[in-house]
Amino acid sequence: MTFVRTGNQSAVAREHGSSRVVRIAAALLALGAAGSATAHHSFAVHFVADKIVTVKGTVEEFSFRNPHGLLMLTAKDASGAEQHWRIETNSPNILRRRGWSDDSIKPGDQVTVEGYPARDGSPSMRVYRVTFPDGRELVGQRPDPTVVPGQD
Amino acid sequence: MPRLAPIALGALAFMACNAASSAPSLDGFWTVKFERKPSGQALIDSLPKGAVLINDTGAGELAAGDFAGLKLKPAAIDQVKKYNYADELKRENTCVPPSVVFYMQAPFPMEIYQGRDLIVFKMEYFDMVRVVFLDGRAHPPESAPHSKSGYSTGRWDGDTLVVETTHIEPGTFMNNGFSHSAHIKLSERFRLSPDGNTLWLTQVYEDPETFDGVAARYMAWTRKPGEFVFPYECDSSYGK
Repeated sequence: MTFVRTGNQSAVAREHGSSRVVRIAAALLALGAAGSATAHHSFAVHFVADKIVTVKGTVEEFSFRNPHGLLMLTAKDASGAEQHWRIETNSPNILRRRGWSDDSIKPGDQVTVEGYPARDGSPSMRVYRVTFPDGRELVGQRPDPTVVPGQD
Repeated sequence: MPRLAPIALGALAFMACNAASSAPSLDGFWTVKFERKPSGQALIDSLPKGAVLINDTGAGELAAGDFAGLKLKPAAIDQVKKYNYADELKRENTCVPPSVVFYMQAPFPMEIYQGRDLIVFKMEYFDMVRVVFLDGRAHPPESAPHSKSGYSTGRWDGDTLVVETTHIEPGTFMNNGFSHSAHIKLSERFRLSPDGNTLWLTQVYEDPETFDGVAARYMAWTRKPGEFVFPYECDSSYGK
């Protein structure tokens, strides 16, 4: 019998001789052991890899922590209504090696963000590129064929 | 004759040390090598006959419903159907680390510290650490606790490090709702390129509870002296 933790639940059992209770518990644990474990989210499942959307707006908030940085952006939709975007970066660890830092983007910055849209149609995306009014660019997830989106 | 015993033991110890010291050094910082064509094809060619190669390593990822051609057991198919991808974005699930079955292929670097009796892998992804014992010990009894890194023992087969890992806590297998069980068995072969600058790995998985046959992955890293692993320190506030 094993100590097994599945998902966020812990299930512990100790073997005490060969009692029936223990054997039943072992069987239940074995079943539990084959259950789905929640994972860190997949890019391919949540975002469209072969489409880029562009949004221009004002940065409300930027956090740069693993597993993903988050850029909260206020923009206008096609009808002129205010729209709040949740835009994630790939791992800050990867982006730090490309020159990003905690203060690469600041609240109040006017930016244009290109990225891979969420499959659920919500105003969210994974960043490909952030461009500032002075032309400065921050590149996140590259649509380079040698680096499949979601994993670089 | 009794005086010869210590001499013989000493000679054996000397030979053992020599064997260890002649092993290739995997020490150092390694970053994922994104390859269009595998540079370690020889290692792929040595995979068990019929092994299904999962093409989602480093730069790859499988979409929902794509299990690389593996034949899932009915129970696993049922679990995948019930899997809710939206749950992944919940705050409480944001920082659930994957197991060694999935974290080795992630596109993050690692540091390797190699000793005679053990090797330590310090992974950047989720700050995971794994220890591979090379001292000839057995695996613990089945009742021993499981963990995301499992329990690993290894040996040198010529220039190849062969690692067997058991006691792996269930975790995602392909990051698309398909999870492995607690009874998965992982066999790994690590080998350096002739110039020592590329590290190749094949992982072979057997998990009869969730799929038929044998599955495998191939990975490659480039040695980069002077660099180091960054802290990951997952922050669950990313979750919704």
